[in-house]
Amino acid sequence: MAETLLEVEDLMKYFPVYQRGILTKKKVGDVHAIDGVTFSIGKGETLGLVGESGCGKTTTGKVILELEERDSGKVLFEGKDIYETLKTSSREERLALRRSMQMVFQNPYGSLDPRMTVFDIVSEPFVIHKHIPRSEWEGRVYSLLKMVGLEEYHAERYPHEFSGGQRQRISIARALATEPRFIVADEPVSSLDVSIRAQILNLLEDLRKRTGISFLYISHDLSSVRQVSQRVAVMYLGKIFEFALVDDLFDHPLNPYTMALLSAVPIPDPERHTKRIILPGDVPSPVNPPSGCRFHPRCPYAADVCKNEEPPLRQLGTGHLVACHFAEKFA
Amino acid sequence: MGELLRVDDLKTYFFTEAGVVKAVDGISFTVNEGEPLGLVGESGSGKTVTVLAAMGIVAKPGKIVGGKIFFKGEELQASSEKEMRKIRGKRIGYVSQDPNSSLDPLYTVGNQLVEVVKTHFEESKDQAWERGVKLLQLVGISEPEARMKAYPYELSGGMRQRVAIARALAGEPELLVADEPTTNLDVTIQAQVLDLLRTLGKELRMSLILITHDMGLIAEMTERVVVLYAGKVAEEAATPEVFRSPKHPYTAALLASVPRLDQKAALVPIGGGIPNLITPPSGCRFNPRCAYSKGICVDAIPPLEVSGERRLVACHRWKELDLRRKA
Amino acid sequence: MAWRRFRRNKSALIGGVIVSFFVFMSVYGIFFAPLPPRSFYCLYNGCANLPPFTNWAHPLGTEPSGIDVFSEILHGALGDLYVGVVATAISVAIGLLVGAFAGYRSGSAGAILLGITQVFFVLPVLIIILLFARIGQLLVAHGLGLTLIVVILGIFGWPTIAFVARGEIMRVKELEFVEAAKSLGASNNRILFRHILLNILSPIIVLSSLLVAGNILTEVVISFLGFGDPSTSTWGLLLQEGFSYVRTSWWVSLFPGIAVVIAVLGFNLLGDGLADALNPRIRE
Repeated sequence: MAETLLEVEDLMKYFPVYQRGILTKKKVGDVHAIDGVTFSIGKGETLGLVGESGCGKTTTGKVILELEERDSGKVLFEGKDIYETLKTSSREERLALRRSMQMVFQNPYGSLDPRMTVFDIVSEPFVIHKHIPRSEWEGRVYSLLKMVGLEEYHAERYPHEFSGGQRQRISIARALATEPRFIVADEPVSSLDVSIRAQILNLLEDLRKRTGISFLYISHDLSSVRQVSQRVAVMYLGKIFEFALVDDLFDHPLNPYTMALLSAVPIPDPERHTKRIILPGDVPSPVNPPSGCRFHPRCPYAADVCKNEEPPLRQLGTGHLVACHFAEKFA
Repeated sequence: MGELLRVDDLKTYFFTEAGVVKAVDGISFTVNEGEPLGLVGESGSGKTVTVLAAMGIVAKPGKIVGGKIFFKGEELQASSEKEMRKIRGKRIGYVSQDPNSSLDPLYTVGNQLVEVVKTHFEESKDQAWERGVKLLQLVGISEPEARMKAYPYELSGGMRQRVAIARALAGEPELLVADEPTTNLDVTIQAQVLDLLRTLGKELRMSLILITHDMGLIAEMTERVVVLYAGKVAEEAATPEVFRSPKHPYTAALLASVPRLDQKAALVPIGGGIPNLITPPSGCRFNPRCAYSKGICVDAIPPLEVSGERRLVACHRWKELDLRRKA
Repeated sequence: MAWRRFRRNKSALIGGVIVSFFVFMSVYGIFFAPLPPRSFYCLYNGCANLPPFTNWAHPLGTEPSGIDVFSEILHGALGDLYVGVVATAISVAIGLLVGAFAGYRSGSAGAILLGITQVFFVLPVLIIILLFARIGQLLVAHGLGLTLIVVILGIFGWPTIAFVARGEIMRVKELEFVEAAKSLGASNNRILFRHILLNILSPIIVLSSLLVAGNILTEVVISFLGFGDPSTSTWGLLLQEGFSYVRTSWWVSLFPGIAVVIAVLGFNLLGDGLADALNPRIRE
């Protein structure tokens, strides 16, 4: 298997919930956005992180890049805890770390400063990090634009002159400018038209194969996750429920939530009739998660043990981790 | 099967500062009773504007500039507000994409339901309230009496969409138009809502138009499909046929570009982007992105032709092309 | 693109024309006014207290004290322009600074600044300005002229700007491109100046335009009430002088009054028009 690039160990992130008084505010609880998440990403690999709203996948991506601070747990990049590095090392080392990990955001209309030209946007990393001499900027910007399928003349234009798909390409070019080894792509195609998504998905795959960059592909769209990922992790209410090689997860899921999730996705083929597992109720609020296994109120297989004890994430089959008391039943 | 809604060469243009946007430029299709129809297309295809026009609620600067709309054989004067109000809600119900903006945040669920009921039925407030409770039950909301008193923000996204559906059903319409009803919902909630739409269709003997960009939804929920591109109809056929043997290059390209959960096939993207509707490409609007485009495609707009039993396609080359997916 | 919208917006155009005319008058006044500012020429040359439109050397008439109304309106334009623009500039500078601090760094500093801002809103500003103007005059003696007024107006005008700036900054800093800049490693300063401030310019520009109108009007009130500087020409001063003989030499009050109305209207229209033209439209 590939060498490990990034490891996340027992990561936790809570957001406090306040009740406003007249002059002060009182903390009434916490949103358990990430509640003990562990996984790893290999070099040159794409890990798909899936889940529904409130599961914590976006927060995970941000905590890995230190855009939100973790509350506890470790994020190890190339063996070193990034939070330690960012607190203690020299400015040089901190900037170098930032350069090696980048992010592509979901909203192509908001993630580019409307007052900057494409050239300014893509070269901003050079301005911030000062690691490339000024004379080389133009050449680099042009080659980055070409790498993402745009033209040199696009550099003088402003974001509003481009379509959603093109703006995502600009975002990707900006992320590539620092020559990162790891990119978090947070729902990069969800805001795009269906026929354009394939362009961007193929681009990401292509970049991964050419440059060996690892990706964390965060999405709620399972079909696209299957397309681009080598391994997949399923999150629910801040926890990882299952983690496996992509084909293993999609063809032989071992967790009832995963199974329900997969069965819910409509397949563009009228001859395939999936047996729908319809889950009762709504996705619960992450402020007060259910006891024991968080999925137990909606799980068709729930038993008493599920209400009382939280199932640990354990190994069942090569490289297949699952958190369920009854996972063996589904193997 | 009776004909319920027929749209005939509908043209709706938006007269903006930047120019005339030909959002709907000659769209025709028919919805029959008990035959769920899918309108599939991406942004700019005209799918939403078409149904809004059919209900007479196209916002300025939009205007219907041509074509006819028939409901159960009767021609609708989309320009006569009085007439259209009789249709809206009472005979055609509409559920829009975003339950957050379609429900008024200032009024309780009960208030909003009662308002709709009273618009269509001569009933007292109490009777209308009772109806509201029954509607909530119908859409599968637990504890409906309590929920009637709730404000939209107190409900989850899935519940809000159910309330929006309940509201659309309040007038007991014969046709329900669901415009991307599950796009903003989580996948497991989407499954619930789709299931609901299916059962309602059967229980209430109500026909359904499902507007979506998701081919998976089309495969699951519809019996007939109209594929729209840039304000025009690309093709219309029974759902299984559209998937098995699409006759329009756009349909085929769309199918080839969407990822499937059960397979890992290479995605073939459609190059280029959605065309500008103020100055659309000449001839066939899909020609700049079409792999099979020839001279005639640029010169002439392809007419919508019959290509089989209850099949229509607007492509110059449909007879010569075999667009079936190579296994 | 914004320019195109600006041109189509009638308010903006009219406002723009008026403001340009106003600026033109001020500049013209320096070079081409018939008489120097505050000149009592006519008192010694027999042309005092002339009604308007009777003598083409003094088209808008003269005061009983000999001051030529037309001349003074031109000089006054400059005076009011100075007050309006410079006071606004001071307010904007302070306001942006305070607003940026309060908006970007949430926490107690922000809350305190917000509180101070809100206190300013509640104060009876005019009375305080008059008070300070009088004290200032007494303490600092002559020679400062309008600058005193300018400084006072500047100091009291910043709360509105700060309030709006804070709100806008708080909104913009949540936008994704700011997050993107953070992920690239940008420093807070860079984010604030390069990304946030440039993106809040539009509402600030609009507000500034309205603030200029307000400052001019406040100056008129201050001078009219006699708290201004009697040795510098302003429209307010003219109005004050004309007040005592408003029934006989009415032209001394009428024409400066019209000038004030037009100038204030002009800046207001410009502000409104800019608000429309610069309004970010959500693109599909």
